[in-house]
Amino acid sequence: MKPLCYGAFALVSTLLLATHLDAQPQPAPESAKVYIIWPGDGQVIRRGKFWLRMGLSGAGVAPAGIDKPNTGHHHVLIDTNLPALDREIPNDKNHQHFGRGQTEARIELPPGRHTLQLLFGDANHVPHQPPLYSSKITVIVTP
Amino acid sequence: MRFIPRAVRAVVPVVAFLSLGTLASAQQQHGHAAQSASSPMAGQRTPAPQDAFVYIGWPNEGQTLNAGRIKIWFGARNIGVAPAGVTFANTGHHHLLINVPIPPLDEPIPNTKNHLHFGAGQTEAFIDLTPGTYTLQLLMGDAEHVPHDPPVTSKKITIHVR
Repeated sequence: MKPLCYGAFALVSTLLLATHLDAQPQPAPESAKVYIIWPGDGQVIRRGKFWLRMGLSGAGVAPAGIDKPNTGHHHVLIDTNLPALDREIPNDKNHQHFGRGQTEARIELPPGRHTLQLLFGDANHVPHQPPLYSSKITVIVTP
Repeated sequence: MRFIPRAVRAVVPVVAFLSLGTLASAQQQHGHAAQSASSPMAGQRTPAPQDAFVYIGWPNEGQTLNAGRIKIWFGARNIGVAPAGVTFANTGHHHLLINVPIPPLDEPIPNTKNHLHFGAGQTEAFIDLTPGTYTLQLLMGDAEHVPHDPPVTSKKITIHVR
């Protein structure tokens, strides 16, 4: 009985793994564009609390887990470079996910210079193919 | 190819309609409202967070713009965007009302040339407007296009197109 269980487990694991590996990143719609509406590049922000406004042209927003063509959800990269584009976007304080379909988010940053960049992700938080990301901007937070 | 919602491509003829004052007949022609009055969902609107609101980020109130393709940017705060048909807590999709008041709140938002649906989860749109004065207002709808409770709607702005 035991070997059978192990066998079944191995089979299921292989299938799951295969399914995972088969998952292709969502194709990005032609000429879609992600951009930061606000703040602007070089913006000085007193006390560092602000609403980040996320712009999207030529595609739609859908919450994480919703697999619909030409949609995805926003992620903001703070003080970091683009992550690997062929896998899930990390989820930490430098890579914030907006998986509930948010198009604005309250951000709090300590005084200093910070970079912000948007990266769009599909239902599984994987960047589209080709990836949709904004230009990286710098904001200056004053006390 | 630039992305233009199907509904939006139809705006040019609407504008002609509007200037001729045949708005009412245009609405009747596309009247979804009558069909939806018997919706079993009536009276069970999707709740929205109390602090949720939407706003027209662009253009501004009273702005004068040149005729042609005008970008409308939809702002949403404390509520997320999801395509039509997707049921997900605290989300909805945008509708742009052009030259019309808020429709009845207990039924799906009509789908006419004056009530543009953005069911693909769009957060901005380009609309073609001919010279004239227009009012624009956003109204969020749930998966079934019914406004939330309380309704999530923007201020109504007036713009001038020359």
